[in-house]
Amino acid sequence: MRLELENVSMVYQSGTPFSARALEDVSLTVEPGERLAVAGPVGSGKSTLLAILAGVETPTSGRVIHGTREISRRQTPPPGSIGLAFQSPENCLFEKTVYSDVSFAPRRQGLDGLEVRRRVENALAAVGMDPASMGQRSPFSLSIGEQRRVALAGVLAMEPRALLLDEPTAYLDPAARRDLIRQLVELNEQTGVTMVMVGHDMDELARFAGRLVIIDGGRKVAEGRAEIILTDSALLARHSLDPPGTVEFCSLLSAAMGDQVAPALSEEQTIETLMQIMEGKC
Amino acid sequence: MQVSNMVVGQYYPGTSILHRVDPRTKIIAACAFVIVLFMVNGFEGLAVMGAGLAAVIALAGIPLPWLWRGLKPVLFLLVITLAFQMFLSGGEELWRLGPVPVYRNGLVQGAFLTARLLLLVLSGSILTFSTPPVLLTDALGRLMEPLAKLKIPAYELALMMTIALRFIPTLVMEVDRIIKAQKARGAVTSGGGLLVRARGIMPVLVPLFVMSFRHADELALAMESRCWRGGRGRTIRRKLAFSKKDAVFATAVLAVLAASLWIGRLQ
Ligand SMILES: Nc1ncnc2c1ncn2[C@@H]1O[C@H](COP(=O)(O)OP(=O)(O)O)[C@@H](O)[C@H]1O
Ligand SMILES: [Mg+2]
Repeated sequence: MRLELENVSMVYQSGTPFSARALEDVSLTVEPGERLAVAGPVGSGKSTLLAILAGVETPTSGRVIHGTREISRRQTPPPGSIGLAFQSPENCLFEKTVYSDVSFAPRRQGLDGLEVRRRVENALAAVGMDPASMGQRSPFSLSIGEQRRVALAGVLAMEPRALLLDEPTAYLDPAARRDLIRQLVELNEQTGVTMVMVGHDMDELARFAGRLVIIDGGRKVAEGRAEIILTDSALLARHSLDPPGTVEFCSLLSAAMGDQVAPALSEEQTIETLMQIMEGKC
Repeated sequence: MQVSNMVVGQYYPGTSILHRVDPRTKIIAACAFVIVLFMVNGFEGLAVMGAGLAAVIALAGIPLPWLWRGLKPVLFLLVITLAFQMFLSGGEELWRLGPVPVYRNGLVQGAFLTARLLLLVLSGSILTFSTPPVLLTDALGRLMEPLAKLKIPAYELALMMTIALRFIPTLVMEVDRIIKAQKARGAVTSGGGLLVRARGIMPVLVPLFVMSFRHADELALAMESRCWRGGRGRTIRRKLAFSKKDAVFATAVLAVLAASLWIGRLQ
C-alpha cells in the first residue's frame, strides 16, 4: 500500500505556552513494498512522523493518504491495515501468555480459531520464536529482547499491508539487533509488505533500507537511495549522524592510500574492494 | 480521547508580581479568601471579592482562554447548582419557563451559590496558574513543618506530592502512547456495554501498572544510591523568603477581604 504525506506540519499543544513544533511542511511518499528508513538526531520529529504516517496522530496541517483513501481524525485507517510498533513496544504487552498476546489483534479482527492459530504461528516464526515452546509462557517472564519480538509478532499477526517500526532495535544486544534486522528484511522480501523503520544507527539502516529519508529539526533535509545517502559522510555529519562503519573504513583507506576507494555499504562489499586493492598491489 | 491535547498541570508561565510572590503567601491568601468567601452574605460582599480577584487575574496576566480551561471541568456543577435552586426551591413564582416554574427565592439563592462557587474555583485556580507545581509542594511542605513535631512526616508528604506531580506528565504521555498502540492492534477503549468496556481497558491498564511499578522501582533505587535518608537533617537549596512584595500583596488581600466582610456583614 502506498503511504503519502502532503505538506504535513505538526505542533503539539498548540495555542498554549507549551506548544512545540515537531514537523514542518514534510512531504513523503512510501512506495508499495519498499523498505524505507527514516533517520535523524534525537528530537528531530521521527516518531511524530511515523505516528502521523500510521494515522494514529492527526497533523496540525497537511494531508495523509493511505492508498487512495485520505486519513483524518474521523476517517481512520481500516483496522488491521497498518501495523504500528512504537518505541519499546514490549511496554504494551498485557496478556497472560505469549500466545494470547500475539493472538489479540487477530481475535479482535473476528477471525476463526484455525486462522488465528496460523497467524500466531507465522508471526512468532517470523521473529524467530518457537510457538510450541514459547506460546504458553508469560510475556513478563521473558528477557527484553524476547518481549520485543513477542510485541512485534503481535503486530505482524494482523498481517498488515504496511509495517511501521519506531527504533525496533533500541536497547537490544548486538546479536539480537542483527537477527531482528535480518528477519525484517526476509519478511519484506517474502511477503512484499511495505516497511518504514525509524532509527539512527547507520550500520543497521544500511543493512535494512532501500531508500532513506533524513529529517532534522522537523524538516525533511535529504531523501534518496540508501547507497547514495549513506555514503555522503558530509551530509550525515551535518545532521549529527555517523556514516556506517564500512563507509568510514573506506574513506580512511582512501586517505591512507591517497587514492579514491569507492565506499562500500556491506562487509562483503568492503572485503571485495580490499581484495581488488591487494590484487592490484601484488 | 485526545490525551496529548491536555495541558499538563495548570501553570501559566510568567513574570508578574503574582508569579514572584512567595508561594506560601499565596497559599495563605487563598485559604483566607476561601474562609471569608463563606462568611460573607449578600451580593455586595461577593462583588468586592470578585473585583479583588479580577484585579489579581489581570495582574498575573493570565489570558481568558486559559481561565476558561480551568473552569470547564466545574461548569457542569455550576449549572446544576443554579438549576436546582431555580426550579426546585418553591416559594414565590417569578415566571414560567414553558411548563416549569422559576422561583424568585431560588433564582436569587442559586445565583448567590453559583457566584460563590465560581469565586472558590477561580481563587484556587489562580494559585496553580501562577505557581509551578514544584514550588507549590515546597511551600506546602514548609507550611506543614510544624506538624513534624507531632510526628507527622510533613517533609515526606510534601515529597510524595512533588513526585506525584512530577510523574503526571510522564504517565499522561505514556497512557496516550499505550492507547494509540493498542488501538492500532484493534483494542476498543470506548463504546460498548460496561463489560465490553471493562475488558477493553485491560490492554491499557496492565501496561500502565507494569510501567508505573518500574518507574517507582527505578526512582527508589536512584534515590537510595544518592543516599536519600528521609527528611531529617535535610538542608534546602531553593530558599523561600518573604520579601517586600509579600508584604504588599498580603496587605492588599487583607484590605479586600476586610472590605468585603464589612460590606457583607451590613446585610
Ligand atoms: N506528546 C507530545 N507533546 C509535546 N511535545 C512533543 C510530544 N511528542 C513529541 N514532542 C516534541 O516534538 C519533537 C519531536 O519529537 P519526536 O517525534 O519524539 O522526535 P524523535 O522521535 O526524532 O526523537 C520534540 O521536540 C518533542 O519534545
Ligand atoms: Mg523517537
